[in-house]
Amino acid sequence: MTLPGRTAYRDELTRIAADNPRILCLEADLGGRGHPFATAYPDRFFNVGIAEGTMIDMAAGLAEGGYQPFVSTFAPFAALRAAESLKLALGYLGAGVTVVAPYAGVSGGWFGTTHHCLEDFAVLRAIPGVTVAAPYGEEEMRAVIRRAARTGEPHYIRTGRNAAPVSLPWEGTDPPVVNWDDAGAEAGRTCLVSVGEVGTDLCLAVRRARPALPHAHLCFVDQPHLERAAAELAERFDRFVVVEEHRPAGGVGSALALLLPGREVRSVDAGDRWPVHGGSHEQVLDELGLNEAALWKALAPYEAPPGTPPAAEGGKA
Amino acid sequence: MTTSTQAGRPGLVLAPFPATTPPAIAAFSPLRERALAARRMVIDMAATPTGCHLGGSLSAMDILIAALDRTATDADSEVVLSKGHAAAGLYAAMYVTGILGEHPVPHYGAPTHHFTGHPGPSVEGVRFPTGSLGHGAPYALGWALSRRLAGTPGLGIAVLGDGELQEGLVWETCQVAAAQRVGNLIVVVDRNGGQNDGLVADISPEPRLAERFDAFGFEVRQVDGHDVDALRDLFEPDRSDRDRPLAIIADTVKGKGLRPVEGKAASHYVSIDARRAAAWKEIVR
Repeated sequence: MTLPGRTAYRDELTRIAADNPRILCLEADLGGRGHPFATAYPDRFFNVGIAEGTMIDMAAGLAEGGYQPFVSTFAPFAALRAAESLKLALGYLGAGVTVVAPYAGVSGGWFGTTHHCLEDFAVLRAIPGVTVAAPYGEEEMRAVIRRAARTGEPHYIRTGRNAAPVSLPWEGTDPPVVNWDDAGAEAGRTCLVSVGEVGTDLCLAVRRARPALPHAHLCFVDQPHLERAAAELAERFDRFVVVEEHRPAGGVGSALALLLPGREVRSVDAGDRWPVHGGSHEQVLDELGLNEAALWKALAPYEAPPGTPPAAEGGKA
Repeated sequence: MTTSTQAGRPGLVLAPFPATTPPAIAAFSPLRERALAARRMVIDMAATPTGCHLGGSLSAMDILIAALDRTATDADSEVVLSKGHAAAGLYAAMYVTGILGEHPVPHYGAPTHHFTGHPGPSVEGVRFPTGSLGHGAPYALGWALSRRLAGTPGLGIAVLGDGELQEGLVWETCQVAAAQRVGNLIVVVDRNGGQNDGLVADISPEPRLAERFDAFGFEVRQVDGHDVDALRDLFEPDRSDRDRPLAIIADTVKGKGLRPVEGKAASHYVSIDARRAAAWKEIVR
């Protein structure tokens, strides 16, 4: 049993705050009742109300005053409504503020278009100086929160709604630049590159069906981390399929394509359409064409989907 | 408290705006002398190749001099110029206050130098990048809250323009500040009646401004924004025991101190030559 990302965030921050009196927790009316930080440290918890821009600029002032504010609101309101504040406070000023953004991608499902955010990587990756993370599972989320608290550097951390995947194992304190999941993989195959909860789920599903495919999981997707990741990826493989719950523009796939000239990079993403219908997270993803079938389609030039009969000689794979 | 000659007006009627006249016999005031020196520097910055936001720099000057004088000797207080287009005024005020070590005039707007037309934190003493309006207020709110949490008596002071009050972020911040009872936050409105495209009263009037802040839960003071000593007194008290933030509505004159441009909306951004700068520095007051 693992915790969803936003629950893991609240729990980990509450733990860290026991030993770090400079930690503050700010919410913009979407933290829910019974927030563990509010219960444990009511004098360091601030629900500022529905005021995302103010919350982030205010957090910059708190950081300059010697505190370590962690602020949270849904991804569309953090990355888009408060984008200018992110640029000024986390980017230009370099304030030690951590933004935790649940409801990323279309994880809001039936909540609808305003509650979806398929643009946050593009916005945040364009702001130098901000570490951008998309943790997969409870342990990665906890590790990234600890990293943000330890370094005091600006962080943007996206997560989904209630999904609770199990993190991939790694050694060391922080999640690695590339977490290789390639036991049993064969050289010369196409490398899956996963980002975030949905991207990683899809890559893991495909790799279960085809263990010969290598898999590289990325937790950090800001430009400096991607540059290091690209170098590491290029040392091992020539073809990549990047899977992410984001639009193609400004996403990790487009970034890696630029960083890997001469290599083949394909993107499996949420496309350019607006999600307009209800349904579960998975149903909205299906409508946008981000699912396992799409990943197999992207792999089709190199890998036949499971259950596909061998192609007749001279036929198409 | 000084009552402004513009107090009680419904909106602002500024054209033509009467040039103000200094008292016949003005007592010596170090802060006024400081403000005069800074005004001359702003004129010099208007004579650089880039020109500068002259009108708003001069209107805010006495506010800045008074606020910076408080913070120059109080490390627990912080001034942020939220109306960042008045950067020339800020640089000059910081220099004459001793906060800024480098003279801004020779470098203002110049390549490879950081005295840009809107201030950023790479400049010594500048706290927050401003110029996209509205952000200085929440930053100051955060700073003020940090002092309250630390148990120290510092202030967070944000200097805003009246045109800037059209930004929703300002009122979002007022809501939060009042709700959190951050009594050591001071929001100063440099009410000069002008904005980029003309008069505030013509573009988006702001009636009953004092009542607005009062309704948000602020203490409100309405003052002559050019009475630098009175302003200084407002910044003096320890507000750590207050639970209502303070709004100072400072009535000012755009281009204050420079009769040829006083009260003129066109003084918003000015580029002049060296001869005119020399002449203006002779008459500025």
